[in-house]
Amino acid sequence: MSGLQSLRLVRVSAVSGRRILAARVISFIAALAVGAVVLAACGFDPLHLGTQILKKSLGSRFGLEDLGLLLTPLILTGLAVTVMMKIGLWNIGADGQFYIGAFAATAIGLFVKGPEPAMLVLCFIAGAAGGALWILVPTLARAYGKVDEIITTLLLNFVALLLVYYVATGPWRDRTTGTVASTGRVPYEMPDFFGSLHWGFVIALIAPVLFGLLLRYTKWGYEIRLTGANPEAAHYAGIPVRRRMITIMLLSGAIAGLAGMLEVTGTVHRLQGGISNNYGYLGVMVAVLARGSPVGVIAGAALMAIILNAGIILQTQGLTTAAVLALTGLIMMFTAVADQFAHYRLVRALPVPAASAAAG
Amino acid sequence: MELITGILTTAVLAGGVLALAALGEVLAERVGVFNLGVEGLMALGGVTGIIAVTLYPNPFFGFVMALLVGLGFGALFALATVVFRANQVLCGLALTMLGSGLAVTIGKSYSGMPAKATFEKIIVPYLSDLPIVGRAFFSQNILVYLIYLIIPAVISFMLFRTRHGMNVRAVGENPAAADSAGIPVTLIRFCYVTIGAALGAGAGAYLTLAFVPSWSDGVVAGRGWIAVALVIFAGYRPFGAVFGALLFGVITAIGYVGQARNWPISPTFLSMLPYLGTMLAMILPVFLWRRLRLGFTAPAGLGVPFFRDER
Repeated sequence: MSGLQSLRLVRVSAVSGRRILAARVISFIAALAVGAVVLAACGFDPLHLGTQILKKSLGSRFGLEDLGLLLTPLILTGLAVTVMMKIGLWNIGADGQFYIGAFAATAIGLFVKGPEPAMLVLCFIAGAAGGALWILVPTLARAYGKVDEIITTLLLNFVALLLVYYVATGPWRDRTTGTVASTGRVPYEMPDFFGSLHWGFVIALIAPVLFGLLLRYTKWGYEIRLTGANPEAAHYAGIPVRRRMITIMLLSGAIAGLAGMLEVTGTVHRLQGGISNNYGYLGVMVAVLARGSPVGVIAGAALMAIILNAGIILQTQGLTTAAVLALTGLIMMFTAVADQFAHYRLVRALPVPAASAAAG
Repeated sequence: MELITGILTTAVLAGGVLALAALGEVLAERVGVFNLGVEGLMALGGVTGIIAVTLYPNPFFGFVMALLVGLGFGALFALATVVFRANQVLCGLALTMLGSGLAVTIGKSYSGMPAKATFEKIIVPYLSDLPIVGRAFFSQNILVYLIYLIIPAVISFMLFRTRHGMNVRAVGENPAAADSAGIPVTLIRFCYVTIGAALGAGAGAYLTLAFVPSWSDGVVAGRGWIAVALVIFAGYRPFGAVFGALLFGVITAIGYVGQARNWPISPTFLSMLPYLGTMLAMILPVFLWRRLRLGFTAPAGLGVPFFRDER
């Protein structure tokens, strides 16, 4: 046997965050390299584009404000998906819940008159309630009939999109300015604290921390974690599994709905067809990147926000939305693979049995 | 009568897109891989079909080229999820973004142009004269027969009547046991995920060469997601997928007819029907016939990467 043959790749179940971070950085660079080659082949100057992105996103105050505005919905939809992952379920419908949250907040904004702070609170409640309502049927179907929640939540995205599109171009259309694709301006606004960045950003930062604390330090959190790890054992231990599942799913919908409400009252100020900007689907990616850690959602959302922001800048440089979407997909694919590579390490052949026994 | 024939004819045509994509997803999920990239694959297949027939005006050429592109991107997805065992949900969503974005970018100059060659109707003598069902089932393009009969029959026979099919199902149900029995788990997963992806891209070509028939941004319109939903509704069975697609086609066709005949409902709400109909079709049977579920459970190994050294 030669020396090379005695080396083997072995999978390790638990790896440190640092290894994963290193693998991600490498994959990110690899994806950028592939993207740069593709862009160069299409006649763009990748180096020029790269410096533009850095200058305009991280190097300026406006860039940072934009980053914060992107981060707000991404953290919340990412958290919504993470919340459900904690109990072993997938919420692919955060996009729809986002739409309905935005829809409910707009309804309050357009048709209820009152003092602004009270109305903002009402919008907040309406947004969260709208999101929770939108996941109610999938929740009951899952809890009482074991109907796959991935598909039911996903299908409702299209219904929500159509509904919002309908009201924004039809009954709620802005008749004063004559735009055809959005409602009138919602008069209640989340106050700003840093340029155009509003307090919704702070809410988005607090929410994952709060959920993380609840999960770790309360009895309820312990029961959720146990249910997620082993539903049968949880049931045997006397935990009302079905009730916990229902609360978690409704909470997840409410958080996604809240993201939609903040987008309307804080950033866009109107309801329009494309308001979700795929934040729901991107939330799934954020949650996977965060590997189930509520606080990790903030880091995952930051990565996603930087990519999206870069995409917006690339569009001003002549790239289409579609090209940016393709590039984002490529980066995500590389990231997913890199996460796995972090689990492998090179070891000598002899201690393999011991290592694999420990891993299994 | 005329109304029912019209609805059925459109339903068969519209359902074909979903049936082919769902058949591909059945293959992937039977071996334990959840492919959420169908939407992107369909977009890629659709644009490939249109470009191919522009270069050489033969619909079969377009369809085969779409299958090949599907094989290529399917191999990429399988490399990531089966060989590298990356997270399937993340890779699937990434593939949808990559495929949709790429298709729109490549297809920009072909947008809105009618397809240079399309699949023509084949009229089956005598049978097509049958009342009501004749025109719907026996006066369709050749892909319809392929999708509704031949492909599901081949897949069904392979899965449930051959030794190889038993191995394939074992890989999806219990990869560790299959591995102990000497079945090449990774190879089988890789092959069927790739073939399934090719069928997804083929469904895109069917959409742009037989159904619409042209390419435009957003022509796929969520059909890939519905195909994924149908697989679960179908209980992971090929003919179940075809039946589900036909049912979905009927709901879609009712919406079309409603728009054409100016029913007093907004077209937006008619467009919601397919999604709500699928939801209902998934939820109702569970509560009506609880026993029905027993034969419809997902492959036990679905979504779980297989690591030999962690057995």
